Amino acid sequence: MTGVGAAPTLGAPADDGVRSVPARAKPRSVLGHWRLYLAISPFYLLFLCFGLIPVGFSLYLSFHRWDGLGSMEYAGLSQYRYLLSDGQFWNSLTNTLIIWAIATLPMLFIALVTAVMLNSAVRFKNFYRFAYFLPNVTSVVAVAIIFTSIFSTNFGLANAVLQGLGLDQVAWLNTDWGIKISIAVLMTWQWTGYNALIFLTGLQTIPSELYEAARVDGAGPVQTFFRITVPMMRPIILFTLVVSTVTGLQSFTEPQVLLANTNNTSTFAGGPGNSGQTMVLYFFQQSFDNNDFGYGAAIAWGIFLVVAIFSIVNWRLVQRGEK
Amino acid sequence: MHLSRRALLYAGLATTATAALGGTTAGCSVPNGSTGRNMTLWYWTGGLSDKVVADAKKRFTDISLKPAQIGGYFKSKLLTTMTGRAYVPDITGLKGEDMASYLPNAEQFIDLRTLGAEKLKDQYLPWKWAEGIAPDGSMIGFPIDTGPVAHYFMPEVFDRAGLPTDPADVGKEMDTWEKYLAAGERLKKKVRGAHMVIDALTIYQYMIAQGTQRYVDEERRFIGDHEHVRRAWNMAIDAYERGLCSRYQSGTPDGNAAIENGLLPSQIGASWVAGDLKLTVPKTKGKWRVAALPGGPANNGGSFLAITKSCRQPELAFEIVTWLLNADNQTRGFTDATLFPSTPASYQQEAMRAPDPFFGGQATIDVFGPTAEKIPIAYHSPYDYPLDQAVSDELRNVNALGKDPRRAWKDAMAKCRRIADHLGVLT
Repeated sequence: MTGVGAAPTLGAPADDGVRSVPARAKPRSVLGHWRLYLAISPFYLLFLCFGLIPVGFSLYLSFHRWDGLGSMEYAGLSQYRYLLSDGQFWNSLTNTLIIWAIATLPMLFIALVTAVMLNSAVRFKNFYRFAYFLPNVTSVVAVAIIFTSIFSTNFGLANAVLQGLGLDQVAWLNTDWGIKISIAVLMTWQWTGYNALIFLTGLQTIPSELYEAARVDGAGPVQTFFRITVPMMRPIILFTLVVSTVTGLQSFTEPQVLLANTNNTSTFAGGPGNSGQTMVLYFFQQSFDNNDFGYGAAIAWGIFLVVAIFSIVNWRLVQRGEK
Repeated sequence: MHLSRRALLYAGLATTATAALGGTTAGCSVPNGSTGRNMTLWYWTGGLSDKVVADAKKRFTDISLKPAQIGGYFKSKLLTTMTGRAYVPDITGLKGEDMASYLPNAEQFIDLRTLGAEKLKDQYLPWKWAEGIAPDGSMIGFPIDTGPVAHYFMPEVFDRAGLPTDPADVGKEMDTWEKYLAAGERLKKKVRGAHMVIDALTIYQYMIAQGTQRYVDEERRFIGDHEHVRRAWNMAIDAYERGLCSRYQSGTPDGNAAIENGLLPSQIGASWVAGDLKLTVPKTKGKWRVAALPGGPANNGGSFLAITKSCRQPELAFEIVTWLLNADNQTRGFTDATLFPSTPASYQQEAMRAPDPFFGGQATIDVFGPTAEKIPIAYHSPYDYPLDQAVSDELRNVNALGKDPRRAWKDAMAKCRRIADHLGVLT
């Protein structure tokens, strides 16, 4: 509707152009390309409606108290002041960072190694690609249910293996580190294949002459991997690192489903000691369990800030190595 | 007048903006509640008997009744819709645990007293009726079901521990929490690996549910450090320190396996837990009985129907609500969807008195019925939920992580005061 209404008005510059002939000679301005802008406008209009306005509203909300139904009450900076002194928020930030670190770093390494192997394997290549990608398209809820069984203390697969090796049981979902490791393992399992496929694409752009030259010079596979593959892949590694940071810092479903219990307590609590409560889980708990939407919005902006800082730091670190 | 490019751009933007605004004003003419022909009814799966709802569709032909089962997180979907002021349902379910958070916004719903609700009052459980009434006295929630809490136990395992096995005896001999814990000691000694309670939190929560006060009183004062909370906390810690609480978490594969193996022969839970047991541990069929809860009657769960301000035909909506929830239909709700009726008249009806093979042929209504009728009228504040979280989290830290109970209590109270202060509760 909007587009049709706006089109004739935006089309006017053509008439304008007829009157002032010299303008024709100039490179075509923004309005001269109106058809192209019109073609891409749906995204921007939708983004304005469903992206920008809600973002702006959440900022507005973070300066208010609101229970979701009644009237809003202006609260100034008090939500942010409370956020800074809120131990549970800092706990959720630490949890997120720890889980992110123990999930992402091994994950990217395993993914890179997997991709290198996939790149050289000849037989059943497509089958492997498919098999590695499968975890990523499996419903997280289904995965988490399976993982809850795997990490059960008494009847779980993980402990059965440990006991088979003559080791002690670990109360995976009942201890601080057990919870964090379980979530990290789930996330690693889920995202390794996805990253491996992205790496694989990158590997295929590396000219094979480089490898041939290395082979002639007598480089072994490990040397080739660290001296040729990794440096050539730097931009792609950067991309996966940034994407993993953004998704890792926003992890929600994995801990939520893994640690949800029916024991009348919040499914957003993140298990005993709030050990698996990530920032987004805490945001959910405050907004939708406690009906504290103003504070929830403040937490959301806190999360935004953390993600922004980490993306910048990531970028800087990887860029520096480039020089 | 020469029209500059910039002016043109502005004009274009203005046109776009007008068109967009036109869209929004058009949005306001979206049916806000019933149009006179339709009446929408929102509930969640299992929130009402589907058969009763289907019958209501046939019965009320003046309008077309449009029932919708809303999946996912019901409360947030309802709040969003009501805040958006479009497509608001005429009749909606309100979950019992969310009720306290709707009450401060009673003006969003129709006061059912204006439609003659008072006349029906004595057909419903008085405490349940009171829960649907807002602080300003208006009634927004009409009672659907309730969740009377009982003590589910396995007589076979109790027998091995030398504990009573007849429901009436169990109810009598474990009528206080102290006696319940003493029985737990016996069970622990006689049956290897068995625990009386799944965790300390269970005792705490049901002791709180047995009282009339929680964390905030009617004057918006914090009372979470008063005797009623302390007593429940101490009893839960006592059970933990005597080794009567397991480290299983309910609903996990570990917890279910332990129940199946008879290592958790005593389960405290609301009437709807019967359905959970049948679903998660079907192999234990016939091995359970139901007895009265130690320490007196308590409620957990049970919902309401409300009519929103958007409803254009409140009288008709009220007629539908009261028909859906009359004693006969509540009995059907029990057989179809294990919704425990809020209408005492139902407890006498044949369908509810049927022996349940899962409970060895016991007529469980003999326990649930009297419990439901004796639940005390309690005050629920909209601030109870976050405060309860703070205390429950600390109790879980004790039970699962072995945190020092004294430290946990101090931390819980410190957290509560901070939260209360933030929410504007007087501390």
